Amino acid sequence: MLEFLQYLVLGLLVGGVYALVASGLSLVFGVMRIINIAHGAFLILGAFLTYTLWSGPGIDPLLSILIVAPATFALGWALYKVTIEPVRTAPMASTVLLTFGLALVIEATMGVIWGNNATSIRPPYGSDSFSIGSFYMPKAQVFGGLVAIAVLVALGLVLTRTWLGRAIRASAANPTGAELVGIKVSSVSALVFGLGTAAACTGGAIVGILYSFVPGTHYTWIARLLAVVVLGGLGSLNGAILGAILFGLAETFTSAYVSAAWATAFPYLIVFAVLLIRPQGLLGARQREDASAL
Amino acid sequence: MVRDSAWRRLQVAALAGALALGVAACSSDDGDGGGGGSDSPIRIGASIPLTGQFSQQGKAAEQGYKVWQAMVNDAGGLLDRKVELVIKDDASDQNTVVSDYNALISKDKVDLLIGTYSSLLNLPASAVAEKNKMLYIEPAGGAPEIFERGFKYIFFSQQATADKQGKAFADWISSLPEDQRPKTAAYPTIDDPFVKPNVDGIRKILETAGVKTVYSTTYQVDLNNFDTIVNKVRAADPDLVVHGAFFDDGVGFIRSMLKADFTPKWLYQTTAPSLGDEYAKAIGAENTEGIIFAISHAPQAETPGNAEFVKKYEEMFGGLPPEDAADAYGAAQVLQAAVEAVGNIDDQKAMADWLRKNSVETILGDLKWDDDGRPQGEFLTGQWQNGKVEYILPAKFATTDHTVMGWEPGTK
Repeated sequence: MLEFLQYLVLGLLVGGVYALVASGLSLVFGVMRIINIAHGAFLILGAFLTYTLWSGPGIDPLLSILIVAPATFALGWALYKVTIEPVRTAPMASTVLLTFGLALVIEATMGVIWGNNATSIRPPYGSDSFSIGSFYMPKAQVFGGLVAIAVLVALGLVLTRTWLGRAIRASAANPTGAELVGIKVSSVSALVFGLGTAAACTGGAIVGILYSFVPGTHYTWIARLLAVVVLGGLGSLNGAILGAILFGLAETFTSAYVSAAWATAFPYLIVFAVLLIRPQGLLGARQREDASAL
Repeated sequence: MVRDSAWRRLQVAALAGALALGVAACSSDDGDGGGGGSDSPIRIGASIPLTGQFSQQGKAAEQGYKVWQAMVNDAGGLLDRKVELVIKDDASDQNTVVSDYNALISKDKVDLLIGTYSSLLNLPASAVAEKNKMLYIEPAGGAPEIFERGFKYIFFSQQATADKQGKAFADWISSLPEDQRPKTAAYPTIDDPFVKPNVDGIRKILETAGVKTVYSTTYQVDLNNFDTIVNKVRAADPDLVVHGAFFDDGVGFIRSMLKADFTPKWLYQTTAPSLGDEYAKAIGAENTEGIIFAISHAPQAETPGNAEFVKKYEEMFGGLPPEDAADAYGAAQVLQAAVEAVGNIDDQKAMADWLRKNSVETILGDLKWDDDGRPQGEFLTGQWQNGKVEYILPAKFATTDHTVMGWEPGTK
C-alpha cells in the first residue's frame, strides 16, 4: 500500500509539471486553432534562461520565474505579431509548418547561445526529499508542483474573473461574435500567445531543475505535450490538466507495475484508446466541423 | 476579398519558404562537390550528431577530428596533401545519417569516409560505406551486432566491443575477497545496441561469480523520469548497481538516487562518468566519489602521441579532451595509418586488408582487429576520486594504486 502511495505521489508530481506546460499549448489552440509545434522549444528556452539566471547572478531557479515569465510573455507577443499573425487564418497545415520552422530556429539559436552540451540546474534542494520512513517526496518536484498549481490557478482566475479572460473565452468560443461585440480577436490572440509562451517557459524553469537538457530536448517534450492535450481535449484548459495528470500517472504506474520498457509508450496507447471512444478527448467539445462530419 | 485571400496565401508561402530556406542554409555544407587533383586536399567525410540526443558526444568527436586535421596538416599533410574534413550534422537521427553518408559519397565526392558517434548511428552508416566499398573506421559503435554482418570495410577503433568493455571491472569485482565482494546486483539499462551488451557482459561474469541478480530492467531512450525505476531498485536493495546509460539518463538516474536517499555500496555506470567536468557539474562533484566506469582513453596515458594530442586539444578547445574526442582522433590515426601503408587513397580494399593483418599505434594504445573488424584489446577502468578521474585498471595504465571501495556520495 505504501509502495502504491509512493508511486501515486510521484506520478501526481510529474503530472503537475506536465499540466503547467501543456496549459499554454491548449490555450493557444483554444483561441487560435493553432497547433504550436514550437511550444516544446519555448519550454527548453525557459530552462536555458533559468540556467543563465541561476549560474550567473545565482538567482534561485523557482524565483527566476518572476523574471523569465514576463520576459518570455513579451517574446511570445512579439513572435506572434511577426510570424503568426500574417498566417493566423491560413489552413492548419500552414501554421503547423510555420511553428515547426519556428521550433527549428529557436533550437538553432539556443545551440549558438548555450551550446549543445547537456545542461543541468542544481539548486541546493535539487537532490533532497521530504521523507517519512521509506516514503519520500523529492523537494524539487514538490516545489515545482506547487508553482505549477499556483500558476494554473492564476491562469484560471484570469480566464474566469477578468475582462481579458472573458475576451479570451469569447474569442475561443466564437471569434466572429467576439469581433461584433468589440473584442479585437487579433490583439487577444497576441496576448494568449504571450501567455502560452510564458507558461511554457515557466514550466521550463521547473523542468530544468528536474532533468538535464540540450536544445534538441524539445522534440521529446512536444510529442508528450501534444499527446497530453489531445487526451484532455484540444483547447480545454481543464482537459489539459486532467490529461497531464493521467499521463504522469500512466508513465509512473507503467514503469512500476508493467515494465520500464513500456513507460514511455504505454501512455500513448491510452491516448489512442481514449480517442477511439471519445475522439474529442476527455473534456474537449465537439467543433462544428466535427458535427458536420457525422 | 479574393485579393485579400490570395495575398494571405502568398504571405504564408513566402514565410514558409523563407523558414525552409533558412533552415536549409543552417544545415547545408558548402562543399564544392569535387574530388580534385593530386594537389588538392584529401577530403574526408563524416556525419556526426552535432545536435539531438548525442550532441554532447558528437561535438567532442568533431573536436577530435579537427585536432587530427590540424596536426596532420601542420606536419605536411597525408601523402603530402592537405586534409580537409567535410562534416555534416545527422541530428542523432538514423535516417539522416544514411542520407548524409550517401550525399558525402555521391554529391560531395569525398575521397575517404570516417565514422560517426554511437552504435545506433554507425549501424546504418557503415552499411552505406560497405555498399560503396569504402573504408569505414568508427570511433564509437561497439555493439556486437555491427560486426556480425560479414562486412569487410568496417573497423572499430577502440580497444574492445561493447560486450567486453566492462570485463576488467567484472573480473576485478569477482576477484575481491568474499567479505568485500557484493552479493547482489541490479542492472537497469537503456535499450541501446551499445549499452545493453555492455551491461549484459558484466552481468554474465558476475552471475558466474555468484553475485545474485535482484533486479534488471530496460527502459526506452526517451524516458527522462527515473524516480520510479530508482524506487524499484531501492526496494530490491542490491549491493551493486550496474547502470547502462548515456549522459542524460545517467545524470537523471543518479539525481533520482540521491533524492530517494538510495546509495548502494557499489555503483558502476556506462558512458556518462567518462564525460569529465560535465558529469561532475551535472550530479555535483561531491557525489562522484567512487563511481566506476569503463573508458577507452586517459589524458595522462603514456601512449605514443598522446601528450601531443592533449596539448593540441587544450590549445584549440581548452581543458582536457573528453573521451569521445580522443576516440575520434584515434579513428583518424587508424585511417591515416591505412592510407600511408597503401600509399594511395584509391584502393580502399587494400587498406582494409592491411588493417586486418597489422596493428596500429594510436593514443588509445596499439589496436588490432579480427577479420570482421572487431578490436582485440582491453578497456581501461576509471574511477572518480576526489572530484577527478583516476584509472585503476589495467595495472599498466593505472594512474593510482588506490581504489575507493564503493560509492561514497556527499563525502568529498
